[in-house]
Amino acid sequence: MKATPAVTVVRGLLAAAGLAVLGYGLHGLLTMTRATHPPQAARWLIGGILIHDLVAFPVTAALGLLLTRYVRAPYRAVVQGALLVSATVALASLPLWRGYGGSPDNPTVNPLPYGRNLAIVLGAVWAAAAAVIAVRARASRRSPVPAPVPGSAPVPEPTPVPAPRPHAGTGPDPGSGADPDADHALDPDH
Amino acid sequence: MSMGYPEENGREAGENRSTLRTLRLPELPRLLREPPQFLRRGPLREGAFPSKLHDPRVASLLGIWLGVAFGVCFLTGLVSHFMQHPPSGLDWPSRPVWLYRVTQGLHVATGLASVPLLLAKLWTVYPRLWEWPPIRSVTHALERLTIVPLIAGALFQLATGIANIAQWYRFRFFFTVTHYWVAWITIGALLVHIAAKLAVVRANVGASRGDRAHLTDRHSTPEPAGEGLSRRGLGLAVGAAAGVITLTTAGQFAPGLARLDLLAPRRPDIGPQRLPVNRTAAAARVLTVARDPGYQLEVVGPRPFTLSLAELRAFGPHTSRLPITCVEGWSADATWHGARLRDLLDAADIPHGATVRVESLETRGGYRASEVAPPHARDPLTLLATGLNGADLDLDHGYPARLIAPNRPGVLQTKWVHRVVML
Repeated sequence: MKATPAVTVVRGLLAAAGLAVLGYGLHGLLTMTRATHPPQAARWLIGGILIHDLVAFPVTAALGLLLTRYVRAPYRAVVQGALLVSATVALASLPLWRGYGGSPDNPTVNPLPYGRNLAIVLGAVWAAAAAVIAVRARASRRSPVPAPVPGSAPVPEPTPVPAPRPHAGTGPDPGSGADPDADHALDPDH
Repeated sequence: MSMGYPEENGREAGENRSTLRTLRLPELPRLLREPPQFLRRGPLREGAFPSKLHDPRVASLLGIWLGVAFGVCFLTGLVSHFMQHPPSGLDWPSRPVWLYRVTQGLHVATGLASVPLLLAKLWTVYPRLWEWPPIRSVTHALERLTIVPLIAGALFQLATGIANIAQWYRFRFFFTVTHYWVAWITIGALLVHIAAKLAVVRANVGASRGDRAHLTDRHSTPEPAGEGLSRRGLGLAVGAAAGVITLTTAGQFAPGLARLDLLAPRRPDIGPQRLPVNRTAAAARVLTVARDPGYQLEVVGPRPFTLSLAELRAFGPHTSRLPITCVEGWSADATWHGARLRDLLDAADIPHGATVRVESLETRGGYRASEVAPPHARDPLTLLATGLNGADLDLDHGYPARLIAPNRPGVLQTKWVHRVVML
């Protein structure tokens, strides 16, 4: 468990430099208050974390759980991947297809029909996903035992050591998929 | 299927045993080291996050890619910052012509491609938010604390950047200044994070990672056979997402990709005279004064003179093919017609080493004037343009005259110019 002294020194220096840089940024943010408006900036900084940790992740986890219930095994991974692509493409262009931003007197900002364009892009993504699913379906039909695509067996394997407690609360926690047979429920798809 | 990672949840001290000569404390109250078990509920439960994608190797690989992306964003952002606020004594070069187009295009493209990377990375490490016990040592507490500015800063930079390029201002802070300082905060926190996670990354990435397994006790578990997205599948999906985002947005600055430009806030060929506009004449409140037929350009130097618009057009006309390269990441090529700035300066006997200020008819605003240092002022491509793409300059492009210089941010290509002053 021991790292070499050189590595320890490098890590120490890196951490010290990082803290100095972080402090520099914080100082700038808190000094140029007329531009940075610290209470507003703090609201956005903290808001981002809270929205991710308390909304985005749990929603994604819940979606993952639904997928394990409703999408059959060999195709689930493809659907998850396509959902990940769709959601992040939509997020990266959110103000555009929602019609936010721009200015009425300048039609050269956000000039495209973004709703239609997003539909085209996501249509292409899902067409590609459908093609992969078709290939997988053909492969599994060809082989008598569904060997190449894992997970067609009804019970994956006996649950090993640290099994979730049967009385585990299903409360607000994002991990509520820990019910034993929905085991790989939380594979991401955000 | 295996449930979580015992070493992650176990009573032993986890990776920090090896980090930074951990202070492992008797000082730390016993209650913190061994919190009561009845608190282990909900997400704090052992094995609460069974996804096989919550894995140190996956997190390390995504972290490396994300680190590279954020590094590129930071450096290209610094280029843009120092180009607009040059430290004294340092003149930005006017060549290569395409440099700022590349750095700023890359800045925005890398930021957009980081969206899937960051979200996937956060997915892989989310269970660490609920690790048990929450605090193991002082260094562990400090390290966890620096995660807050890292994640907050990363999400903030991407969110405000995406809002800014769409000119969507839902926040009251000034974008450029705040984005700049939060960049320092984020990069600082990232350096601390790299220092803290170096051992985990080295033990989980690379062909000879097995030899470095002793560096930490956080190891990738063999991937359980499952029916959902595999770890490789996650990597492919993240790569595909970044690829789709780049292909459908990079056309706003990369020539040749314009036809795929479906989801970018600009299209290089949409605007008056087939060129986008950032600040219109109406927004700059110059509609009346710019159309004044008595317009005169004043050049102030050792031998000052003035020119009417007709005289300016006739003043050694030249043509330059130069892009407008905006800080918001879009770039568009155009053909400009007008007088060379250096010819105007020579006519006023302004010496070669002098910096000049180019002033707009705008009466207010941070960008109503810009300074032109010798590399740009003397570049033969730099024009005081009166024409664009074969016609008179459109009012929104800076009629009657605008500055256009190579390798210079669009905000400094001053429009509606009426004075050039030697400094």
